[in-house]
Amino acid sequence: MTLSSRWSAGRLLLQLGRLALAVVFLAAAYGKLRPQNAVPWSLASLKITPTSLGLSMTFFAMQVDSYQLLPPRAVSPFAHALPWTELGLGVLLLAGFALRYVSLASTLLLALFYAVVIRSYALHLTINCGCFGPNEKLDAWTLVRDGFLFALGIAVTIAAFTIQRRRCHALSASSPPHPERAV
Amino acid sequence: MTRSYRWNSRISNGHPMRILTSVAAALVVCSCLALCVAPTVAQTTAEWERLSAEKSLGNPKAPIKMIVYDDYECPVCGKLYEQTLRPLIDDYVASGKVYLVHRDFPLTIHLYSRQAARWVDAAARIGKFEAVERTLFDNQMAWSEYGTENPKGIIRPIVQAALTPAEFKRVERLMQGCESNSQNEIKGCAVDTGIQRDLAEGELLPVRGTPTILISAHGQQYPPMQGAISWPILRQFFDRLLSQE
Repeated sequence: MTLSSRWSAGRLLLQLGRLALAVVFLAAAYGKLRPQNAVPWSLASLKITPTSLGLSMTFFAMQVDSYQLLPPRAVSPFAHALPWTELGLGVLLLAGFALRYVSLASTLLLALFYAVVIRSYALHLTINCGCFGPNEKLDAWTLVRDGFLFALGIAVTIAAFTIQRRRCHALSASSPPHPERAV
Repeated sequence: MTRSYRWNSRISNGHPMRILTSVAAALVVCSCLALCVAPTVAQTTAEWERLSAEKSLGNPKAPIKMIVYDDYECPVCGKLYEQTLRPLIDDYVASGKVYLVHRDFPLTIHLYSRQAARWVDAAARIGKFEAVERTLFDNQMAWSEYGTENPKGIIRPIVQAALTPAEFKRVERLMQGCESNSQNEIKGCAVDTGIQRDLAEGELLPVRGTPTILISAHGQQYPPMQGAISWPILRQFFDRLLSQE
């Protein structure tokens, strides 16, 4: 495999990884913002109104609280901010905008999720994960899934930084020498 | 010729009237069986509903209904009761905003949880559910296997202290044949029927652990929540539900 073909394979994998992460974040945001009493992915679940949004947020706050990690005062702001953060990251990943920084932020968030899930599993907390909506059991499968997503986040971030650096090198090599330096 | 083939050929060769008569006879037998079984099922359901009402607090017509599947020995259930359900009972249940329903879900991993549930159910049958539930959660560390005090598993004196002598005698009578039973043995203990029904209802949900909370309001049921939820966060959700009216 030549250097250029390896580079294009890397770029393809980066694009696929970026899209996969975008889908994951958008699905997670949808699961938290949709009306919690509606059947997932049904037409009723797409009818998001200010009232249903307020209920979904407070319902998600109960799931955050069940992790017994944050004081009640911090639970509500965190629960209100997380779905929108996931939505924002999902949209930015889908658009491919500022990919290095967005993928880095996504990986940090996935690292946080992974750490919290490991802690809860180690403490034998019988709780719902709340990752992609309500009534989702936190079990060994959640650990495997979150570990895989964290690894994917790392891979996408490394690829985004590496490809950007190579592009900068390629640009500097192809550009003519600086006039002052030539003198 | 196999037996089934012979049977099929007999039916197919039989007179249509004979077949119709057989079908009608089968239907009559089934109907008689259903008529015999139905009243028993209805009676059991009515009894369970009556007991369920005894294990509930507040106004049944309250805008919010909250069902809690509990195990009396589970430490998280104790925490939920002390830190969340008590302020809820004193505030939102007392003011008629929430109807709180208790369901038993004694886990087999706990040594004394079924025995505790039996005492509470027996007390519920004489209208003393709240007092006995409260005393068992308040003194969880005294009788549970995770407790710091000895001897463990001795629930009788704790229940006795929460009731008058006359009330305790009535509860004791209901508990006849229950105290010697092991955790999973349900023969000869009349109180166990309600617990078994609660367990069956929970398994249908499905309840995967305790505590599990099921909230419904304005005809809408929300997905089950698991684990301990602090009172300020639960109140926030209830306030949202109440503001929908």
